[in-house]
Amino acid sequence: MAEKAISPVMKQKKHVPWLYLLPALIVMSIFIVYPMINTIRLSFLNEDSTASAATDCREGQPCWGAFENYRYALTAEIDGSSFKAGWESFWLSSYGNMIKWILVMVTGTVVIGLLFAVLADRVKYEALSKAIIFMPMAISFVGAGVIWKFMYNFGTSETQIGLINAIITAFGGKPVSFLSTIPVNTFMLIIVGIWMWTGFCMTILSSALKSIPEELLEAARIDGANEFKIFFSIMVPIISPTIIVVLTTMVINVLKLFDIVYVMTGGNFGTDVIATRMYTEMYKNFQTGRGTAIAVVLVLAIIPFIYMNISRFIKQEAER
Amino acid sequence: MKKKFLLVALLVVFSLVLGACSPAAEPPEEPAVEEPVQEETGIDCMGAEGGEISMLYQWSGAEEENLNKILRPFAQACNVTINAESTRDQALLDTRVQAGTPPDITFWNVTQLTQYKDQLVPMTDLGVHEENYADYWKTIGSVDGAWLGLPVKADPKTLIWYSPANFEDAGYSIPTTWEELDALVEQMVADGKVPWSLGMESGDATGWTGTDFIQDILLVTQGPEFVSGIIDGSVPYNDPAVKEAYEIYGKWAMDPVYTVGGAEGTVSVGFNDAILKVFSSPPEAMMVKQSGFAGGTITETYSDLEYGTGFDFFGVPGAQGLQGGSDWMMSFSDSPAVKALVAYLSSELGGQTWAEVGFDLTPNLAGSTSYVDAALAKKGELLANATGFVPDIGDSIPGGFGSAEFTGITDFVNGGDLDTVLNDLAGVQAEALE
Repeated sequence: MAEKAISPVMKQKKHVPWLYLLPALIVMSIFIVYPMINTIRLSFLNEDSTASAATDCREGQPCWGAFENYRYALTAEIDGSSFKAGWESFWLSSYGNMIKWILVMVTGTVVIGLLFAVLADRVKYEALSKAIIFMPMAISFVGAGVIWKFMYNFGTSETQIGLINAIITAFGGKPVSFLSTIPVNTFMLIIVGIWMWTGFCMTILSSALKSIPEELLEAARIDGANEFKIFFSIMVPIISPTIIVVLTTMVINVLKLFDIVYVMTGGNFGTDVIATRMYTEMYKNFQTGRGTAIAVVLVLAIIPFIYMNISRFIKQEAER
Repeated sequence: MKKKFLLVALLVVFSLVLGACSPAAEPPEEPAVEEPVQEETGIDCMGAEGGEISMLYQWSGAEEENLNKILRPFAQACNVTINAESTRDQALLDTRVQAGTPPDITFWNVTQLTQYKDQLVPMTDLGVHEENYADYWKTIGSVDGAWLGLPVKADPKTLIWYSPANFEDAGYSIPTTWEELDALVEQMVADGKVPWSLGMESGDATGWTGTDFIQDILLVTQGPEFVSGIIDGSVPYNDPAVKEAYEIYGKWAMDPVYTVGGAEGTVSVGFNDAILKVFSSPPEAMMVKQSGFAGGTITETYSDLEYGTGFDFFGVPGAQGLQGGSDWMMSFSDSPAVKALVAYLSSELGGQTWAEVGFDLTPNLAGSTSYVDAALAKKGELLANATGFVPDIGDSIPGGFGSAEFTGITDFVNGGDLDTVLNDLAGVQAEALE
C-alpha cells in the first residue's frame, strides 16, 4: 500500500481493530470461553464440585486419579470381562452408537441428497419435489421424534397404531418392536435422522451443481461421455469442496445429536449416544464431574471436524 | 447439594421431566366434597391465642386448599394467624435455613429430616400425641434418636387395579395372600386370559413401574426392613432375595402368556396405556399394578366407569408393609402456637379432620376410620394394617441409582443377563452410599 497517499484520519493505530472486535469478544468470553473453561475445571472435580475427582476412587477399582471422571466417561460402558464381551458392549455403548450414526447417517444424507440434487435437476416439478424433501427440516427434532415414535409404534392388540407395523400385519406378518429390538433400533433412529437432514444436504449440493458451467457438460456429451461418466468424472470432482463441507457439517451435527434418541428411546435398549449420556449424568444423576467430562470428550471429538470446516472456509475465501 | 437444587430450579423444563419420573408426585385423587365438621371443643390452644405461625410447603391449588381445610378449625379456635408460602423450590427452604431465618413450620420430604437435623425441634418437645402413631413412623422420622418430623400425609402405591365386572364374569375372587395371587394368575392363564398388564415405557424414565413391582415383591418376600436395608446400603442390590424378586417379575413380564405383548410389550407399552388395557373392551389383561393415580387415568378415558363397580383395587396381597410417598411436618420453632399446632395435628381430632378432608392418607391412627371417600377408606385400612412404610428405593438413593435401576430392569426384561444387571446396580448402590 502507498502510505503517503492516505490521510491521517484514515490512519489507524494497531489497537483499533481490537476495539471493533471488543463487543464480540466480550460476548464470546462470557458465553463461550468462560463456560468452556469452567466445564473443563468441573470435569476434574467430584459430583458436587467440592473436591478433586480423585476422591471418588474406590479401593480395588481402577483409578485414573484426577482423570477419574474421564475413566468413567470412556470405560464405564465397556464390559471388560472378556474381549468378546468388551467388543459387544462397545458396539452398544454411546461411542459405538456414535460411530454407527456417523457412518450411516452422514453417508445416507449426503448420498441421497446428492442423488436427489442430480435427479431433481432433470424433472419438470423440480421446485415441488425439492420442497417435499426439504420439508422435514422445518420440523423440530422433538416433533420428528414423536411422529416417528408413532410410525414405529408396537401394538399389543389386533389394531396397530404404528404405520409400519400396520403394514406388516396387513401382509400377515408379526408386529415388530422396532425401538426395543437390539441392534435394529439404533438404525431405526438413524432413519429418522436421515429423513430430517437429507433436505439440507440436497439444497447445498444442488446449488453447487447449478454452478457448473453448462458448456463443460455439453462439451463432454459431444465427446461421447455418458451420464454416469459425466457425473463421476466432471460433476463430483468440481463440487468436491462442497461435498467435503457438507460431510464435515453433518458429522458435527450427528456428534451433537440428542433429541431423536431422547424422545424416542430415552437412551434405553442400547441406543445411548454421547449427548444423551451427558444429560443423564448431569441432570438425572446430578454427577456434575462425570457429566462435564463426557461433555469435554464430545468437544474433543468435534474439534477436528470444526477445524476441517474452518480451514476449508479460509481456503475458499482466499480463492475469491 | 445446593448446586443440585439450583440446577433443578433454573431448568424448569428439566424439572418437569424429573417430575414425570417420580410417580410419588401425582395429584391427589378426588378431593373430598364435604367440609370438615366444626367441633366446638377438642382443640387445646396451650395459650397460643393471637400467635403467628410462618409456614412453607410444596402444595398448591387443590392440595393447598385441602391443607387449609384441615388447619382452619385450629386457626379459628385458637385465633392463630398462619402466614403460609407455597413453593416447589427446595433451594428457597435451604437458603432460609442456612441464613438462620427458617419458617416456623415446613411440610417437606423425609430426607430433609437428616439434612436439617441440627436445626429442628424434636416432636417430643412440642407435645406430640405419640400414641396416635405406629412405631415404624417414629423410626422413619427419627434421626440419631430424636423424633424430628411428624408424618402428616402418606400415599401408598402397593396397589393392584382390576375390573370388578371382569372378575365377576370369570368368577375370580380377590386374593388375600401371595400364594392366592400366584394361583389366581395361573388360573387366568389356564382360562386363556392374560393376567398382567406390565407396560413400563415412560420416555427416559422407562422402567419405573417395573422397579415399583420389584419393591412390592420384596415387601412380600422380605418385608420393609429388608427394603430399608437396600436404601441404607446394608443389603447389596445383588442379594439373592433381590434376584429372586427379579425372577418372579421376569417370569411374568417376559412371557406373552402372562403379560400383554410379552417382553416386547412390557418395554414398549406406555405405563398409562398399560392401565387402560385392563379396562378396554374386550380387556387385554386382568390386572395392573400401579399407584393411586391410576384411578384418575381410568376415569379420564372411560368416564362411565365408577370406582367400586367399573374399577377397583386391592393391596398387593401378602405385602408386609407399604411403599409410597410421605410428607412430613418439621418445626424450626418451639413457640406456643407451634406447640398447639403439633398437638392439634397429632391429636385424634387432627387425624380425623385430615381423613375427612381426604388429603391422601393420614398416618395418624385416629383418622384411619374417618375417610369419607371410599377409595381413600380402603387405602386407609391398608395403611392402618401395615407394619412398615418405605419410600421408593430409586428415589431414596442419591447419585444416579434411580436412573440406573430403571435402565437395569429395562435391560433385564429386554433380554439382558440378570446377574450382570444386578452386579452393576450393586456397584452403583455401593458407590452412591459410601
